Amino acid sequence: MTRFTCECMSPQEQRLYDQMEGKEDKFRKTHSRVFKMLERFDGQKPRIDIERALYFTQSMQQTEGEPLVLRWAKALRHIAENMTVYVQDDQLLLGRAGFDGRYGILYPELDGDFLDIAVRDLPTRTQSPATITPEDAKIVVEEIAPFWKGKTFHEKLNAALPADVHKLTYDDPEGLMSRFIVNETASFRSSIQWVHDFEKILKRGFNDIKREAQEKLDALDPLSPKDNCEKKPFLEAVVIVCDAIVHWAKRHAVLAREVAEKETDPVRKAELIRMAENAEHVPGEPARDFWEACQSQWFTQMFSRIEQKTGTTISNGRMDQYFYPFYAKDVEAGTLTEDQAMELLECMWVGMAEFIDMYISPTGGAFNEGYAHWEAVTVGGQTPDGRDATNDLTHLILKSKREFPLHYPDLAARIHSRSPESYLWDVAETIKDGSGFPKLINDEEIVPLYVSKGATFAEAYDYAVSGCTEARMPNRDTYTSGGAYINFAAAVEMVLRNGRMKKYGDQVLGVETGDPTAFSTWDEFWNAYVQQHLLFLKTAFHQQYLINKIRATTFAQPMGSAMHDLCMKHCIDLHQEQIPEGINLGYFEYMGLGTVVDSLSAIKKLVFEDKKLTMQQIIDAVDANFEGYEDVAALLRSAPCYGNNDSYADSIGREIDRISVEFGGKYSKDLGMHNDVRYVPFTSHVPFGKVVSATPNGRKQFTPLSDGSSASHGADVNGPTAILLSNYNTKNYGMRDRAARMLNIKFTPKCIEGEQGTEKLVSFIRTMCDLKIWHVQFNVINRDTLIAAKKDPQKYRNLIVRIAGYSAYFVDLSPDLQDDLIARTEHGAI
Amino acid sequence: MSALEDKKKKGLVFNIQKYSVHDGPGIRTIVFLKGCPLSCNWCSNPESQRREPELAFNPGRCLTFSKCTRCLQACLRGAIIREADDSLRIERALCEGCPKHCAEACPSQGLIVYGEERTVDDVLKVVEQDAAFYTRSSGGMTLSGGEPLLQADFALALLRESRRRRIKTAVETCGMVPWKTLEAASEYLNYVLYDIKHMDAGAHEAQTGRSNEIILENFRKLAELAPDRPILARTPVIPGFNDSVEAITAIAEFLRPFPNVRYEMLPYHRLGTQKYHFLDRVPPMEEVTLDKSVMPRLIDAARNILGDRVEIVK
Repeated sequence: MTRFTCECMSPQEQRLYDQMEGKEDKFRKTHSRVFKMLERFDGQKPRIDIERALYFTQSMQQTEGEPLVLRWAKALRHIAENMTVYVQDDQLLLGRAGFDGRYGILYPELDGDFLDIAVRDLPTRTQSPATITPEDAKIVVEEIAPFWKGKTFHEKLNAALPADVHKLTYDDPEGLMSRFIVNETASFRSSIQWVHDFEKILKRGFNDIKREAQEKLDALDPLSPKDNCEKKPFLEAVVIVCDAIVHWAKRHAVLAREVAEKETDPVRKAELIRMAENAEHVPGEPARDFWEACQSQWFTQMFSRIEQKTGTTISNGRMDQYFYPFYAKDVEAGTLTEDQAMELLECMWVGMAEFIDMYISPTGGAFNEGYAHWEAVTVGGQTPDGRDATNDLTHLILKSKREFPLHYPDLAARIHSRSPESYLWDVAETIKDGSGFPKLINDEEIVPLYVSKGATFAEAYDYAVSGCTEARMPNRDTYTSGGAYINFAAAVEMVLRNGRMKKYGDQVLGVETGDPTAFSTWDEFWNAYVQQHLLFLKTAFHQQYLINKIRATTFAQPMGSAMHDLCMKHCIDLHQEQIPEGINLGYFEYMGLGTVVDSLSAIKKLVFEDKKLTMQQIIDAVDANFEGYEDVAALLRSAPCYGNNDSYADSIGREIDRISVEFGGKYSKDLGMHNDVRYVPFTSHVPFGKVVSATPNGRKQFTPLSDGSSASHGADVNGPTAILLSNYNTKNYGMRDRAARMLNIKFTPKCIEGEQGTEKLVSFIRTMCDLKIWHVQFNVINRDTLIAAKKDPQKYRNLIVRIAGYSAYFVDLSPDLQDDLIARTEHGAI
Repeated sequence: MSALEDKKKKGLVFNIQKYSVHDGPGIRTIVFLKGCPLSCNWCSNPESQRREPELAFNPGRCLTFSKCTRCLQACLRGAIIREADDSLRIERALCEGCPKHCAEACPSQGLIVYGEERTVDDVLKVVEQDAAFYTRSSGGMTLSGGEPLLQADFALALLRESRRRRIKTAVETCGMVPWKTLEAASEYLNYVLYDIKHMDAGAHEAQTGRSNEIILENFRKLAELAPDRPILARTPVIPGFNDSVEAITAIAEFLRPFPNVRYEMLPYHRLGTQKYHFLDRVPPMEEVTLDKSVMPRLIDAARNILGDRVEIVK
């Protein structure tokens, strides 16, 4: 059981709120405003606010036939003019996209064909439920959904996929359910994760961008067809959208003044007047102080969420960098204290926690269990000229994460070879706090890789973490649709079943590679796997080719484009396929690395080398889901596994990676993008596992696959150093076409206890940096895990309890000793 | 001794444990050597005591006879007994000197052999896998046991070869070894963890099987031989044996003159008892527990004498 992982499992999130209900938090007194705000929506089921969808639809109905980018801008203007605005009690920032409390909004242009099913099922579904009033449900079904029938991205894609691609993608003709083999993710978000250049808005304001657009409009060649048909509508859209967000902000100012009028508490009254003044000034004009900077960023961020559904919600970029000049200036002038700055940031965290990133489709829901969100606030790292970038605000944001026990925002700490000790100690102390934040992202892997993909050093040094594990360069990167999630454990099954899967009966889905019992060498088996592997990749790349084209005719993003240097320079919307000078960093997902490597390793070793098992025995055992074949399952599990720094298993992993990287390198060119291999599963290794029958690594049928680049459950028995090294060993550092790898590492609290423990964690992080590991996040295993391990020893067979001079597998201890240890852990003293 | 000769030396190793953070500085790999001159009643690594490989049976990992009978078929001596209630029993008298085919056949690690002949080169290859972590953490290799210096030739070869490969070393010793061995090892050791269990010779002999004169004498010599090398003296605090202020005070007094010595007390735990059962042995102290209130008093007592040279282990 991992807690507070990137997957953000819902029970944990819920627990956070519950804790706050129960007892007074020790930091409540010093953070009373934000605690009070948080308590107001404790445990609340999110409500669906339909205003965004309604006004968007109304406008789009009236603009049919016009250029898409212009239609989008007009729709945003219509929303800005009509959407309800709010001033919340205690809150210091203005701007939200819906109801008070926890809420979600709808994007019918994306998957509106699911809307009628969704409003029926959402309140009762187990994953991320939400409520909607009967009146609103009626509007959705009668007014919104009908307009989008046949127009949504999802329907266009479903119709466009050729039969051979469709059958590995969807389970039904309408494409409502996924096959979970080569799964498309483009139809539940308009783009994958993204981060804006917020700094530009803080420094210039939208009015200046509007001025730039107007100048460009004036300079267009009146006789040029391209200028008139493409650039003109784009620039007009930019003007409209800049006005729209400023108008929206000013409506907040008006309301804040009204509320201030009635306010009797002089302190709150003054706050409200100040908030109104802020909203009158930003985001149109440059921010003048820290509070305005926060307000400007927040308006921009929230309007961006209204503009489109960015995968995993819009990321926050390098907050400790772009806010720092405002912070430093105010602190120097004596107009801002550290506590006040922290309170403003935490007001923003609360606003983030109220907005729920809704996934309407059943597949989307399964991918993002537990109201998943990765708004990725980035701290640390390097400046554009390659110097260490940490500052006082870096430390303040880390401190806030320790003191305000909220699961928002997702926090990412950039690490590089010269990260100062003070920073790494602060990072380590924050990780030890138990929540697993921050996740670590490694400059030493990303910067050279991005340079090799076409960035300048300055751009690469200035990357921001985006979404779960990715990195973006906001003015060089361009948009990418969600890429394919590919279930390679299914490829192993298809070799064992001659192109078929138990779940899907006699249907031939993969390559008929022949009867595996007739294979006489490992090479024959391996080649059969590679054929399935390549078929899956081919399918994924065909999907992507069509997706990229459909995206360009279905989505536009005038506001995001207005903030992008290249879009403004070339007068082109960010959703278009090719942005001149841009680098399009996309990826496809390798699902189940540990499951596949361990399965192939077991077959290679036990069937072809040691001859301890025959292929027939393995097929019989997996057919029976290992029932009556427990000894075969145990033997399979005893083969070399990924995650143990075992070169036997790791060399198979590296070969698999090589095939994927080479394919990406070769065929990305057809797509005009980088479609590189990535190992990051969200929570999707669970639904993907549900279609794969028993695998030759002893895994039972329809249970989860291994996640990301982590080992199979319980297979890593050599501790955390071995996990890092296996990750390192399975990468092809000599090649370029790779994207992120997610790695979860568990620690017992004892391992990192006290100052010595922090020191050792810091040196562990330094080594992770040396090894060019892309991403690591830590889970501090606690008492609950030991209790779970006692109940389910098979799953926790790798859990090591470490005590000076002695160590043991927890599951090997007798029940009463396990209880003893659980009791000791409760007191933090093993 | 040449590097070539050292690399080929063989010894009996029963475990190599990566990512150890409690037995010496930094992130370390512990190499456990088999065999011990003492036989402490509280020993938490009973599989370390004898100097030959031992068969162990862990029923928690066994698939049981209803699902697997591979060991029954593999044993050529009839030493694996299927009892009337379907449980497994080892007829240990028949096992002596057997190459343990049963463990090799066992798919689930229910039957395992503690102790394997390995060469210095083979052990250090495993140790070097984590070299990147030692560099960043000032960690390295710790030899432990059993008493690692009991296999003197092998242990010294490991230490010498580690020095050649620039791996920092530590040893965890009970001190009950010939001074010549300790002296020879000293040259290659960056750090020493040294057990001092009791200052009273009689009490020591009663609970460990050996008197403490050699141990104390060796400690003195070792501390004086390399006055700049840190030594961590350790006392396992055992109920009814040394969990008194008097016993700890006496140890602290003994340590006081050596400025390079720090001191740590490890509270008794019962976590090793399961392994006695795996070996068909009776744990001598299964029912004993340490009173929680004892440790703070002992730490205070030690601090009165050694000040901040006392490490705090919760």
